[in-house]
Amino acid sequence: MRYGFAIDQRTCIGCHACTVACKTEHEVPVGQFRTWVKYVDSGVFPNTTRDFGVMRCNHCTDAPCVKICPTKALFIRPDGIVDFDNSRCIGCKSCMQACPYDAIYIDKNTNTAAKCNFCAHRIDAGYEPACVVVCPTHSIWVGDLSDPNSGIARLVNTNPVAVRSPEQNTGPNVFYLGADRAVLDPLAAPVDGTYIYSSPDAQRAALAAHQPRDPVSGARTTLNTPHPRPWGWRVVTYLWTKGLGAGALLVAALAVLLDVDLGVLGTLVAPSIALVGTAVTGVLLVVDLKRPERFWYILAKPNPRSWLFLGSLALGAFGAVSTAWLIAGIARHSGHLHSPRVFDALAAAAIPAAIAAAGYTAFLFGQAEGRDLWQSPLLFWHLIVQATMVGTGALAIAAPAVDLDGDARQLLARTLVLATAAHVLMLLLEYLGRHASKQAAAAARLITHGPYARVFWSTAIGLTAVAAATASPSWNGDPIALPLLAGLAVQIALLAYESVFIRAGQDVPLS
Amino acid sequence: MTIAPDKDLQARPSGSGALPGERTHEHLRNFPPVEDWDHHVEYDAKAHPRKVPHEYMLVPTTCFNCESACGLLAYVDKSDLSIKKVEGNPAHPGSRGRNCAKGPATINQINDPERILHPLKRVGERGGGQWQQVSWDDALDDIAGRIRKAFVEGRHEEVAYHVGRPGEDGFAERILQAWNCDGHNSHTQVCSSGARLGQALWGGYDRPSPDHANAKVILLFSSHLETGHYFNPHAQRIMEGKQGGAKIIVVDPRLSNTASHADLWISPWPGSEAAILLAVASHLLRTRRIDEPYLRRWFNWEVYLANLHPDAPRTFEAFLDALEADYAPYTFAFAAAEAQVPVEQIETMAQLIANCDHRLAAHIWRSAAAGNLGGWQVARSMWFVLALTGSIGTVGGTAPNGWNKFIPHGPDVPAHDHWNLLTWPAEYPLSCNEMSILLPHFLREGRGRMEVYFSRVFNPIWTYPDGFTWMRAMTDPDLMGCHVALTPTWSETAEFADYVLPVGHSTERHDTHSYETHSSRWLGFRQPVRRVAMEKLGIPFTDTRDTNPGEVWEENEFWFELSWRIDPDGSMGIRRHVESPYAPGAKMTVDDFYRWIFENRVPGLPTKATEEGLTPLAYMRKYGVFEVANGLYRQDERALTEAELDGAVPDERGVLRKPTTPDSVPPLIGEAGAVGLVHDDGTVTAGWLTPSRKLEVYSETMRDWGWPEHATPGYIRSHVARDQIALEAGDLVLVPTFRLPTLIHTRSGNAKYLNEISNTHPLWVNTVDAARHGLATGDLVRLTTTIGYFVPRVWVTESIRPGVCALSHHMGRWRLHDTEGSRWVQGLVDITHPDGPDSFLLRYRGGIAPFSSTDPDSERIWWTDPGVHQNLAFAVQPDPWSGQQCWLQKVRLEKAHPDDRYGDVHVDTAASMRMYREWLTKTRATVGPGGARRPEFLMRPVKPRRRAYYANPEGGP
Repeated sequence: MRYGFAIDQRTCIGCHACTVACKTEHEVPVGQFRTWVKYVDSGVFPNTTRDFGVMRCNHCTDAPCVKICPTKALFIRPDGIVDFDNSRCIGCKSCMQACPYDAIYIDKNTNTAAKCNFCAHRIDAGYEPACVVVCPTHSIWVGDLSDPNSGIARLVNTNPVAVRSPEQNTGPNVFYLGADRAVLDPLAAPVDGTYIYSSPDAQRAALAAHQPRDPVSGARTTLNTPHPRPWGWRVVTYLWTKGLGAGALLVAALAVLLDVDLGVLGTLVAPSIALVGTAVTGVLLVVDLKRPERFWYILAKPNPRSWLFLGSLALGAFGAVSTAWLIAGIARHSGHLHSPRVFDALAAAAIPAAIAAAGYTAFLFGQAEGRDLWQSPLLFWHLIVQATMVGTGALAIAAPAVDLDGDARQLLARTLVLATAAHVLMLLLEYLGRHASKQAAAAARLITHGPYARVFWSTAIGLTAVAAATASPSWNGDPIALPLLAGLAVQIALLAYESVFIRAGQDVPLS
Repeated sequence: MTIAPDKDLQARPSGSGALPGERTHEHLRNFPPVEDWDHHVEYDAKAHPRKVPHEYMLVPTTCFNCESACGLLAYVDKSDLSIKKVEGNPAHPGSRGRNCAKGPATINQINDPERILHPLKRVGERGGGQWQQVSWDDALDDIAGRIRKAFVEGRHEEVAYHVGRPGEDGFAERILQAWNCDGHNSHTQVCSSGARLGQALWGGYDRPSPDHANAKVILLFSSHLETGHYFNPHAQRIMEGKQGGAKIIVVDPRLSNTASHADLWISPWPGSEAAILLAVASHLLRTRRIDEPYLRRWFNWEVYLANLHPDAPRTFEAFLDALEADYAPYTFAFAAAEAQVPVEQIETMAQLIANCDHRLAAHIWRSAAAGNLGGWQVARSMWFVLALTGSIGTVGGTAPNGWNKFIPHGPDVPAHDHWNLLTWPAEYPLSCNEMSILLPHFLREGRGRMEVYFSRVFNPIWTYPDGFTWMRAMTDPDLMGCHVALTPTWSETAEFADYVLPVGHSTERHDTHSYETHSSRWLGFRQPVRRVAMEKLGIPFTDTRDTNPGEVWEENEFWFELSWRIDPDGSMGIRRHVESPYAPGAKMTVDDFYRWIFENRVPGLPTKATEEGLTPLAYMRKYGVFEVANGLYRQDERALTEAELDGAVPDERGVLRKPTTPDSVPPLIGEAGAVGLVHDDGTVTAGWLTPSRKLEVYSETMRDWGWPEHATPGYIRSHVARDQIALEAGDLVLVPTFRLPTLIHTRSGNAKYLNEISNTHPLWVNTVDAARHGLATGDLVRLTTTIGYFVPRVWVTESIRPGVCALSHHMGRWRLHDTEGSRWVQGLVDITHPDGPDSFLLRYRGGIAPFSSTDPDSERIWWTDPGVHQNLAFAVQPDPWSGQQCWLQKVRLEKAHPDDRYGDVHVDTAASMRMYREWLTKTRATVGPGGARRPEFLMRPVKPRRRAYYANPEGGP
């Protein structure tokens, strides 16, 4: 059994009956939609036309939203419907990042994720979804795609059909008949200066200037719905605090392994930064939940495949190692601990924990399949480099206040210079190289040539390069003030970059 | 070509007794079986995946938004009698269980936190925004007293019922008849007068009823895939026709959603449509691709020859030659030049139509016919093409509406013998229908006054042209004694009323109605769904007020009660018409009224009901609709019944007539006494409703009422024809009437799910015109009309033809006070008089903004644009024949002036009166044979006795 939709755009009249019937069936808040109708106008008078596209959840066979959901609030039923249980949802919005179709929103009444669920409550009682019932031209078809004799299977198998974003390999189960390419491809028709009887949201309107129009059809979107970025400053900051904490302890552990004595920097400052960074990270993550009181569901009702869950474990483990390290450090300085071997053991634990804490986000972002920019194979390594950069930078800021030997100063300065330079190189590689998909390229272009270009070139690249250059004269450890300046600069530069990275990644339209 | 997915899957009935809109696809039903409607259990959508059952009673009713009257099914929660949602009614043969967006959005209107829940009486000056809650009793007594006094003093013409879209057939007319009052005033002039006249001149019937589903060619001068009469029912069938291989031709200067589905989209210069059609007609005649036997039998071709070619032999062949020669000037090249389109498009259209094989389904209702001076000739030319192709009344062709419409009336009420010159003035003897757009001008000119004026779900200050002149008349106590607004929601007009009386939405009222959605004839029943549920559940109530929100009433009970109070002792002869037919002397109840209609006036219904073990009323309460007949084709050939033939004698032209007197009452359409036609071959048919009972290719009516030059289908150059528009000087033609699929006039303003989809009001301007004016999307412009100007925002687009700009209907809503109005759609305005009392400036004080209410969604309003109230700046431009407001405007476009603000509307009402007088000079105030005020056969919503047609009561034929 595999339920699916076939939407016949050859007979769809763009009337919005499906939209409104759905909204009344589910009492969807104003401004949010489980299904909606997109309009695209193409051509030059008198050879002009308008095409419609009914947008909604694709009930993917390989549903990314289900994979990323940390609490199994989203799930695939045996009949193929991608359903959700809002009593499990913590409002993390990761499903919105995973969905390549703009299909999910956080319901303003419940603060939980919602989307088309095929009217599963009606299906269970033997009734068609509300949108199917209302459609004046019977352009929405529903049925079992796995039964070759079903009406929908015959329809889909005997007519040319298309799906949205096939390159995402999600196995969409919404098939379009007679849909124009410009309607299905979210990048093919930038929004027009205004909509035909509504107005584009600011995000789409701003992007239109950076999206090229099709030179042949001139296709422009003349009606659509807004899909604001689910993640904002909290996630930007989280990337920094997490990197800061992980990086600081990573360098301290490295020092232990290299037998470089960072003194109090290694025993107290680094684990403190790690702990505070992790704690702030945790707070940011919880505060970013739309249902923060349900944060514990991640552990109580976990989806072991979700990197939100696995990441929580990583952060927890890292927090535990950091705590142990700090306790050991305090014990050492208060004279209760004498053996340095403890730090060898802690370092052995801290390195994988820090790498996991810093790097797991690459896998989480990998599960955010709607954001192609975040799918880079470099991301994991890049996050480690970033963490090293800001973690070392933080230690370098503290360094002048403590008494460090030459090796320690050298280690800090060299790590900072190398990590900073590597970060710049990786950015250049990432953004000047080829992108795996059109969507990733579009997002990258927003960063390099679009609204984020100034911040990206001046701060993310420029300031980081300046930081590397500033710290490099201290390659051998002195003067200690230069790494301090560089350490400050990289914090700002990384925050600037993450803000660009997070925003641009979510800017490219998916519908 | 579009391949139908699988026709047998389109609607696979679940059983032999299946409803027209019932289907089962792969074990999924679209609706619960009707047996379960009283106790349907449905899982809670929001609690899902937990199974939380709710038990509903499913009660059918009818949508009250647009005129399509689609069936609805209300889900009444049996635990608290709340209405959960509104779906379609699968029993309805017109809408077949499906709806447009406005159907399900009814639930928003029911739950609107800003509803008017109690009768309100004005305190302070009109429009001052101060209201006092009053009881229905007090309101009724006051209003009834005023009406009674007017009637007693013989001032019948001072009482008027002015109705927007009625959404019902016959009820209000009957009440006015009971009052012996010619006070019916409809909204037709802002809507369909043009199309009505053009069609009525052919056969009496004033609307088309295309059989889209079976057509080979579908010709639309309208946008029925998105709006209009009858949007959802027609869209279903147009798409079925398309899937069956029909070619769709759409004629519209704007790329409508409908045009986007056309095989041939012709975007003509507005007003040239009749020329296009006549070029097609000319081609058909030239190539003899015509249905000669049909024309020979049904055209009044002898009359054509006698009047236009008296010297020609009186043969059909000579007629065809004459007709061909008379229409020869309408070449493709001529039409292409008038329409400013490539000649190939006209040729293609002609060829498609020539090959239609008697299956041309065509429609016009408003659009070009409502836009242009002489627009009625577009409808008339369209029927010319229909007739020539032999597509009238055929399978896949186009029938007249009367064949597919059924109006059952309540117990008989004698007709009145009044003639209200405020609505039927001498200058417009052919108007279809009342000259309602001129009412304030007539009042200001001293032609009369109104003692009691009902505006019923009607908003003339907003909807009509020249709203400021309405405002002036409505605020003048000498002209308007008492204005009663019957309305479910706040409107611009209600702000100026003396009483605002809340009446129900579609789930809160009784009505019957019938529309020509396809080759069927059905009767729909609207009902207050909670009342029906309460009755079934045995919960007592007194009247519909007890079952509706607040004190919202239904109109039926209101009119019964008001009529009773006008004539409490029965001495005026009014009361007896609102007494129960079942309990003499008792007041009529809605159950009595509809029981009587369903038992006595609906053929087949009592039998059908008996088969189900129901009374006729219970049957209608259960299904909400009854199909009286279907498969109705070629009703012109219908044989007459014994009763019809009884006493009928053919006149010299073969028209079968029964004896009449000056007190005979003509039918809604047609002449008193006329029943049918004896043809030359001796056959006897019902024929048409014209004086000749034939299709009048030559209209003696036009000749006799002073317009012999328009006695045949022709082309009248519009007031906005190409040669009237100086593009280089900045002129454009403005199309101000096009609708959106999601809104309906000012009725849908309180439907949040519609507002959130449709909430801006851009002026469509073609890139070519924008370049000439140096405009970009978002620029403010000033559009100047003959009486003022307004300031919209531009959308530069390829989706409209150059030379034409367009601004949608529906938007530009405003309110004067924070205390009243619909904040979902109305912006706060100030109305000032910058240049003296004649000048009016409307300016927004604020846009649309979130507000606090019992509905959290009102805090989530993100849209800001209330739109531009363009109609205020339009002069009345009544077509001198049909009376149709000629909506298209010649406008001068310029960039907004420095002091202009978005949404500004400025009008000089002195200029309004000048324009009124200017258009009045286009008329020829004539009387017809015998001094008749108006052709008797033309529709008139409440027809008086024949004697009223004559200014001299002793006159008459």
